[in-house]
Amino acid sequence: MSAETTSQNNNSPSSEDNNTAEEAAGTYECNICLETANDAVVSMCGHLFCWPCLHQWLETRRSRQTCPVCKAGISKDKVIPIYGRGNPNPQDPREKLPPRPPGQRSEPEGTGAFPNFGFGGDGGFQFSFGIGAFPFGIFASTFNFNDGRPAAPAPGSPQEAEEQFLSKVFLWVGIIFIFWLLIA
Amino acid sequence: MANIAEQRIRREFKEVVKSDEVAACNIRVELVNDTYTHLRGEIMGPPDTPYEGGRFQLEIKIPETYPFNPPLVKFLTKIWHPNISSVTGAICLDILKDQWAAAMTLRTVLLSLQALLAAAEPDDPQDAVVAQQYKEHYEIFRRTALHWTSTFANGPKKDKDYDDKVTSLINMGFEEHKARVALSTNQWDLTRAAEYCLS
Ligand SMILES: [Zn+2]
Ligand SMILES: [Zn+2]
Repeated sequence: MSAETTSQNNNSPSSEDNNTAEEAAGTYECNICLETANDAVVSMCGHLFCWPCLHQWLETRRSRQTCPVCKAGISKDKVIPIYGRGNPNPQDPREKLPPRPPGQRSEPEGTGAFPNFGFGGDGGFQFSFGIGAFPFGIFASTFNFNDGRPAAPAPGSPQEAEEQFLSKVFLWVGIIFIFWLLIA
Repeated sequence: MANIAEQRIRREFKEVVKSDEVAACNIRVELVNDTYTHLRGEIMGPPDTPYEGGRFQLEIKIPETYPFNPPLVKFLTKIWHPNISSVTGAICLDILKDQWAAAMTLRTVLLSLQALLAAAEPDDPQDAVVAQQYKEHYEIFRRTALHWTSTFANGPKKDKDYDDKVTSLINMGFEEHKARVALSTNQWDLTRAAEYCLS
């Protein structure tokens, strides 16, 4: 009723707006049920689906798993869930049935090439470097004497040792603080 | 009927009705009952084919598992085509079988059938008799398909020679459709067609 009134009052601009809105809604329609995608996932080929719809398709065609739109290869592990803002239902969709595959978050690559280095002891440290890379061994030894604590020649390793040392310090500070809280 | 199937058909129905192809009278779809499980489709024979100008009716049945499984489609209008049975109207088309994809719609199915009329695949036949004729006597196949189009699909072009042959067999006392099938199957040889009718 109200929509009709609006379209009567306004002329062509409003109908253009409506078309644009309709097209925009169509952009986020599931390619299987043709409704706005619910628990949305996107395939590697860029096609949008409701997870329940895609799951049912994959179950129907177990032997030949292809994208329902472009027939590219598709699998449960290679679809990406889409999390929009302001989800009215805060339940984790992965706990729903059928389960939606989790988002994949790869860890940033570590900088330390020799993560165990600082704790190997001075002997082990000098031994490995003396054999593996003679010039570094000399440098490291010199460095070691001057600095008074283990350091590694590879960039990043000294920082890592320092971080681990700091984290131990903070751990102890934390324990002492809790202890103090309990007593006080 | 499962909810998703009916909801989707409702949506697709609207989509087909307002599509450009409908505007150009190329395809059409209508309801047979109000449950959206049984539809009637129609495609126009594509230009530059023996089916040109014909209107071919299709029976479309929507399974409960739609769109995860394809609709069941067959020709109601009799047609002479290597991939469609001249007896039952059954269709041999990959997308209606193992190449079906859940994103396909009534519109894409009807357009694919139209494309099938324009490009037969005689090496994957549904009707072996038609396929053999297509491969061995293409000109006879073309005229036969045109004759069937004018007879059953309201096609605009007549083939007087073939019409006369059907009439002569009818005058010999054979039933019209039996006579037409006999002639079509026997490369329009009257004697062999008459023997075929008697056997
Ligand atoms: Zn969906
Ligand atoms: Zn795709």
